[in-house]
Amino acid sequence: MIPLNYYIACAVALYIIGMYCLASKRNMIKLVMGLEILVNAAHLSFIAFSAYISVGFIDPLGHSIVIMSIGFAGCVTALALTIVTYAYKHYKTLDVRKLRRLKW
Amino acid sequence: MKVDRIRVVGLTAAVLTILVFSTLIIEHEFPVFKYADTDQPPKLVENETGIIGQEVSRFLWDYRVIDLIAQAFVLFAAAACCVALLRIEERKR
Amino acid sequence: MFTPPLDALLMFMVATPAVGWVADKKGYRKVQGIYASASLLVAAYFLYGLYKEVAKNGIILIVGQPTFNPPFGACLEIDMFSVFMAFLYIIIGLFATVYSMKFMERDSGLTEYYMLMLGMIAGMTGIIFAGDFFTLFVFWELMCLTSYALVAFRKQRWEAIEAGFKYLIMSAAGSATILLSMSFLYGMAGTLNFAALATSLTNTASEGWLYTTLTLVMVGFGVKAAIVPFHTWLPDAHSAAPSPVSAMLSGVMVQTAACALIRILLLVFSSAQPAWQMTLAVFAVFTMFGGNIMALLQNDLKRLLAFSTIAHIGYVLFGFAIATPYGLTASLFHIMNHAIMKTLLFLCAGAFIRQTRTRDLRKLRGIGRIMPITSAAFTIGTIAIAACPPLNGFWSEMMIIAAGIRAEMIIFSTLTLANMALSVVYYFRLIRIIMLEMPTEVSKRATKAPISILIPLLILAFLCVFIGVYPGPFINASSQAAEAALNIEAYIEAVLGGL
Repeated sequence: MIPLNYYIACAVALYIIGMYCLASKRNMIKLVMGLEILVNAAHLSFIAFSAYISVGFIDPLGHSIVIMSIGFAGCVTALALTIVTYAYKHYKTLDVRKLRRLKW
Repeated sequence: MKVDRIRVVGLTAAVLTILVFSTLIIEHEFPVFKYADTDQPPKLVENETGIIGQEVSRFLWDYRVIDLIAQAFVLFAAAACCVALLRIEERKR
Repeated sequence: MFTPPLDALLMFMVATPAVGWVADKKGYRKVQGIYASASLLVAAYFLYGLYKEVAKNGIILIVGQPTFNPPFGACLEIDMFSVFMAFLYIIIGLFATVYSMKFMERDSGLTEYYMLMLGMIAGMTGIIFAGDFFTLFVFWELMCLTSYALVAFRKQRWEAIEAGFKYLIMSAAGSATILLSMSFLYGMAGTLNFAALATSLTNTASEGWLYTTLTLVMVGFGVKAAIVPFHTWLPDAHSAAPSPVSAMLSGVMVQTAACALIRILLLVFSSAQPAWQMTLAVFAVFTMFGGNIMALLQNDLKRLLAFSTIAHIGYVLFGFAIATPYGLTASLFHIMNHAIMKTLLFLCAGAFIRQTRTRDLRKLRGIGRIMPITSAAFTIGTIAIAACPPLNGFWSEMMIIAAGIRAEMIIFSTLTLANMALSVVYYFRLIRIIMLEMPTEVSKRATKAPISILIPLLILAFLCVFIGVYPGPFINASSQAAEAALNIEAYIEAVLGGL
């Protein structure tokens, strides 16, 4: 089997990619996608750990947590996209750098 | 051109961070289940029917029932949030 | 199902649309507010029964099935710390709900509003009752989702949408960080139960991965608890939300994140205790300075109060970083006092804003002469939060400094004292603007606030004075809660003792 450290390195790389996406993208929908990438990093990490308890067996706790957590990520995405529709209605653009009226 | 330079710098910084962390992680062994309670040998979950969907839901219902019921309430609250945000304002001017 | 108070809150939340539909059919507007207040009173009654049970039997453990197995199963574990905080949430929620009956009467979507308020209080109660990390995360998501929608509630204004979007992005990134740290803890220990984690992770002092997980936990909870590099969502969100929602967010939601953080740090990371104590103390000092210095520059009433919340969370985190029973008692007492004072200030600010339709301090000058009762309550709240002697803020802030000195953290205590002195500047500036100046044209347009808005304000002002004059029973309650939070052996015993 592939050593576990590669899976953890992938999960942390996904987390850094998600943070980079949140920091640098301008389109609001891309920011919501960045949130999804962040959550998927944690999901990958859970599934990888649950397979390495001992060779050939899988710990069911990690999988059950991921099943429930995918539901939560979906709820947050739904709410975020609702707010994005209203932001488009107010600002007439999807560029998050135009949302700068609140300062200091 | 100025914006492009910032983007290039940001991208290089992100790629460097990923490489540094990957090297660190691959060098340092992760203590997998090192601190787990090994007094109890790993219990196998019984597989009564062969249908994997039923087995998964039986495991969830046996062990994590509090989380399942709370998740039902969270889904209801998320639907309520979307209804609250998508409501129609009555114009009473 | 769960315990009675949590059951009551969740069931009443689900039943609110039925009440709202009947009210809309018949044309009554007030029914939803009265229903929400009544459900909070029922939940408070059940919580009192739960308190008596915890006082008699020690820690209560709620499990799903009789065949409960600690490494796998979800559980709720209720001790005095949980009951103390849950009382605070329900009482502050009751004040905010009674206030919003009159305040939100011209808004649409009242059914959804009260449903989301009940949902937020249920989520906060579930966080503080949870005995397993994933159960905490489920109720954390309930609290977060309802608060996103409540901040963006007045969606026809651009400000609410902008503040709501920024808040959502930052807070969801924090939740994802918490999930990643949960996965590392699961990888190390094979379980997510707090008691099992506390027994497993005891001799891990030289483990690099534990410190990585500790960093992720502090970042994740720190986004919601408004620790200074991660606080930038707070001023926007608290100014753009409707005033009762701002009172709930500032008064109790930020403190919920701090309490969840301290519970996890005490139970799970007890082997790295010197590391997280020092880190938390340094972050607390940065938070205090950031909040106080930014508050000096504000001209918007609600933004100033939001930055003051950041400073007070800094004081609370400093008390938590001391981690002795006296320090924890001081912090919990300050959480209670700050909740009462900050709710009073935000509700008074809401009354001013409702009457004059502006939040600018330069235009609100002299409004004290036109709205006397509201301004008197506002002045009592401001004097209390500036730590002046006969009121309640003085006792808790002095206790935090005394705890710091007793624990030999002299430099941090001096910085905290300097911050408290610095904050007096902008609190007294508020009193001068509201009470002592001549009214402008904008503030002359105000009328006196209606009676149902004044009642919560007067009760809260009376509580400030009462706790200040007679703090004994409240300090006693806080110290019982603090002892329960620090009593890790009893916590582990309640779950694993039977096995």
